[in-house]
Amino acid sequence: MEIQGYNMPDDLYYEENHFWVKEEGDLLVMGMDDFAQKTAGEIVYVQLPDEGKKLKVTKKFASLESGKWLGKVFAPVNGELVEVNEELETSPELINQDCYGKGWMYKIDPSDKSELGDLIQGQEAVEKWVLADIEKYAE
Amino acid sequence: MEAKYDFARKYREQILQCSRCGFCQAHCPVYGSTLRPSLNARGKMLLLKEVMDGKLELSDELIETLFQCTTCASCFENCPSGVEVPEIIKQVRKDMVDIGSCHPAFKGMNEVLQKHDNIYAEDEPEDFERERNKQAENVYFIGCVGSYREDEATLATLDLLDRLEVDYTLIDEVCCSGVLEDVGYQINGDLVRKNLDNIYATGAQRVITGCPYCFRTFKNKPQYAELREKGIEIVHMSQFLTDFDLGVKTDKRVAYHDPCDLGRHCGIYEEPRDTIRKIADDFVELPHHHADALCCGAGGGVRGAFAKNSIAMARRRLEDAEEVGAEVVLTECNSCAHNLGNAKLRKQKFKIQNITEFVNELMEEAE
Repeated sequence: MEIQGYNMPDDLYYEENHFWVKEEGDLLVMGMDDFAQKTAGEIVYVQLPDEGKKLKVTKKFASLESGKWLGKVFAPVNGELVEVNEELETSPELINQDCYGKGWMYKIDPSDKSELGDLIQGQEAVEKWVLADIEKYAE
Repeated sequence: MEAKYDFARKYREQILQCSRCGFCQAHCPVYGSTLRPSLNARGKMLLLKEVMDGKLELSDELIETLFQCTTCASCFENCPSGVEVPEIIKQVRKDMVDIGSCHPAFKGMNEVLQKHDNIYAEDEPEDFERERNKQAENVYFIGCVGSYREDEATLATLDLLDRLEVDYTLIDEVCCSGVLEDVGYQINGDLVRKNLDNIYATGAQRVITGCPYCFRTFKNKPQYAELREKGIEIVHMSQFLTDFDLGVKTDKRVAYHDPCDLGRHCGIYEEPRDTIRKIADDFVELPHHHADALCCGAGGGVRGAFAKNSIAMARRRLEDAEEVGAEVVLTECNSCAHNLGNAKLRKQKFKIQNITEFVNELMEEAE
């Protein structure tokens, strides 16, 4: 769905710092959402930790940067990092070009998929959250 | 005919001295990564001559050329005609700002520093688990990059200072604002005052800076002359560290990246090497070292305004590290460490660290 010019598919789960999560078989795929990529500007660096890194829900496990902005990536669930999008090492701008497709960032093997229930999901919840953040960042 | 712009008034002869030999192209990091002649010193001097001749006006069209320079001074270092390109570029940028033509990132930086204490507009500095503004012999001045982008490196430096039993305090520091003079603006007097007052309040007789750029600003800028007049010594961490017998060793192959702000701009080449030689028997020079060092691409505001090219320059610098088989690339500049760290590819297995962070790690391992 589109919310004030931001494309926010309502079939995805969202971590409150504007990272989307979706299921892919047993794994979860994670990336940056359209609101965040537009607000951040051209992404120039994405930290790609080593595969096997243990992830603790709500804890920072990576970062990414545009020219002067630094964003932290927090684990949406407990689990293990199993794959990173290596294309982002030399083409971090894929996040700006196709944040839900080629700009995917990390794949996670979750400890407990039911933790997805703690994320933001569904049209009504996503809309309320995004509108609140649009107002907050406009200040 | 009266010169229209200040850069022409001050630097006309120098610009005319450029013989267009192109020696600068061999050393310019911007040219090296973009291969665009207009972006290197020779290209810039050609453009400025056209401006002086009235064939071209300073305008938004020249923003990309005139604001894309790390002011690394490798052109000046190698110019047979002695053209002081970085000083000319800084003045041209002031002229551009005066006519309302400026890269938005730099205009933004100036505005940010009018409202915030740091270039990132961050409101909450790390406390680094340490009290600030105590009475102490030394003030350790971190700098914006160390405070907000390389906090782990800064914490390691502070841990090292503690291990070495240095009497120091952090202060409620604000941006030295020296970078504003590089990008067409003026050092921010309010920020200067805050730094000076906070330093004086500690009773410290020495300021140790983690950032070579802050070091240059405190040491050379008239706005910070008070520090010098009061007899407060200003040193960079790499100078301060040479006084210590560190008592640790590594068997890793170590190389050293000369930060432009420390090396070419301040002539500080040997002190970092003295420290490295104490701890590493296998120290190798990078292919481009000392005054010939390749810029990491972060300086002169370029990391903020032309981030992609900035990282490309850093990536090019890291090829030097691969060439010598370095396992660790040391530097003592958070800007360099950050940009080089961002540029490092996953397949490149060497580490990039400040000397202080590396030494602290060795000491931790030895405990």
